[in-house]
Amino acid sequence: MTTKLTEAYVFERLPLEPIPAGTNLLVTGPPHGRTQDLLYELLAGGEGEGMLFVTTDDDGITVAETYEGLGHTFDPGRMCLIDASQHGQDAEDAPIRHVGSPSDLTGIGMEFSSLYESLRGSGLAQIRVGLSSISTLLVYAEDFRAVYRFLHTITSRIRTAEGLGVFSVDPDAVEDEAFATIAQTFDARLDVREDETGAEVRIRGLDDQPTGWQSL
Amino acid sequence: MRPMPDADPVSVLYVDPDDDARLETATDLEVSPLVDASVETCATIDEAVDILESTAIDCLVTEHDLPDGAGLELVEWIRDNQPDLSCILYTNATPDAIRTAAFGSVVVEYLPKEIPDSVTALARLISNVVSQRSQLAYPIPETEDERLAAIERYDVTDLEAAETVDRLSDLVASHFDVAVAFAGIVDAHEERFLACKGADWEQLDREDTICTYTLLEDDHMIVENVQSDGRFADVDVLEELDIRSYAGVPLKTPDGLPIGALCLIHDEPRSYTDSEIEDLRKFADELMEQLELRRRLRETERAVPKPDHQGAR
Repeated sequence: MTTKLTEAYVFERLPLEPIPAGTNLLVTGPPHGRTQDLLYELLAGGEGEGMLFVTTDDDGITVAETYEGLGHTFDPGRMCLIDASQHGQDAEDAPIRHVGSPSDLTGIGMEFSSLYESLRGSGLAQIRVGLSSISTLLVYAEDFRAVYRFLHTITSRIRTAEGLGVFSVDPDAVEDEAFATIAQTFDARLDVREDETGAEVRIRGLDDQPTGWQSL
Repeated sequence: MRPMPDADPVSVLYVDPDDDARLETATDLEVSPLVDASVETCATIDEAVDILESTAIDCLVTEHDLPDGAGLELVEWIRDNQPDLSCILYTNATPDAIRTAAFGSVVVEYLPKEIPDSVTALARLISNVVSQRSQLAYPIPETEDERLAAIERYDVTDLEAAETVDRLSDLVASHFDVAVAFAGIVDAHEERFLACKGADWEQLDREDTICTYTLLEDDHMIVENVQSDGRFADVDVLEELDIRSYAGVPLKTPDGLPIGALCLIHDEPRSYTDSEIEDLRKFADELMEQLELRRRLRETERAVPKPDHQGAR
């Protein structure tokens, strides 16, 4: 790999060291709850960064509201959503593109390419991309190959454009072999676990990161 | 993933009904320093299919609005017939104006035509998509390029080798109580069956095969019940061929490059004992040794000129 032109991605509120540009992370944990919160924290970048989020479960407005509920500002000037949840509505101020169903991987992929290019075109060098969730894509898709091709296409674009990708999956909802194959396409993995006392995160697959479980 | 070797130019098929746009884009792509491309062009889906059937194309770039249908219809034909081909929709139509729902599984790259310096962006995208092989529906070994080069060194179509592989497959089939035993070479886009006892398969698209995954294994790959493995459950051709259980051992060159697999197929779910897997591995070693010896023999024959070739280099 050649030297990165883009700076590493920084996480103000998480027990993580900066992550190099072009990295794709798989975030595993129970759906919703702290896994989803962690996803949003990973996506919250500074003023000069773009953000693009693909949602298959919560509708776009809920995503924007939850994100703001965590104390971040959803800035339509540099953030956009692709809503494939099947129950999304148009919002007045949030830039939300709609795709009819999580099974329409072609439609999601084209909206992704289009939005990614326009964020880059507006001068944003760093772009964080989120997707929630791979488990839902697998439920709706015609077959595993289509989801693999879709993920491969998107993660490759994030890698070459030096973005940051964070994709969530609920390992309990995906068959073991399929999960292992998908996990191998990512550069690193963040596992989330939670109980009555709180939530913890563990990162594996990247150098210079804390080892073992860190409390959130 | 590593880029492809930079020996051959990327062959691009550019489909656009607008004569001027076609000529201009093709010319601009061919002179672009960002990609070493040779570009063929045409205006319709029918013409594109003719070209794809007769010429090796690495990347399709197509308009959305074509005289005989939508660009995604062409991509659908490609996913059915040449599934590994990289496809880019290059159009002024915005994603929300394109009916994608009926083509949800085809997956393409998308680039708007009306952005500043769009041909530069297109050249860069073609280069990235092809070098990263980003539209493959399956994982590939890290040594893919070396692996493909190795396959060319083993002339597995040579008649005597074919007889050996046939004989060995017969032995394997009778040793194990299974419906089918075969040896297959996994090429860039297809698996070719060298010998196949119990069925008459010749080749399958790589994305449809379980051997694609066996290449990634150090030792062996067992799928006791194909139809309950998330990766293969919905692959129609496996069910059509009655592939219900699978056991395979990669065929590796002496330097460890997997070129294919020796496999057992059964028409109902079944398991394999360690000693059965060990036997299958021994058969695979035997087969690979045969192929390797033939390769070395050919190399030696080439190095030592025969008397009637004296003087020739």
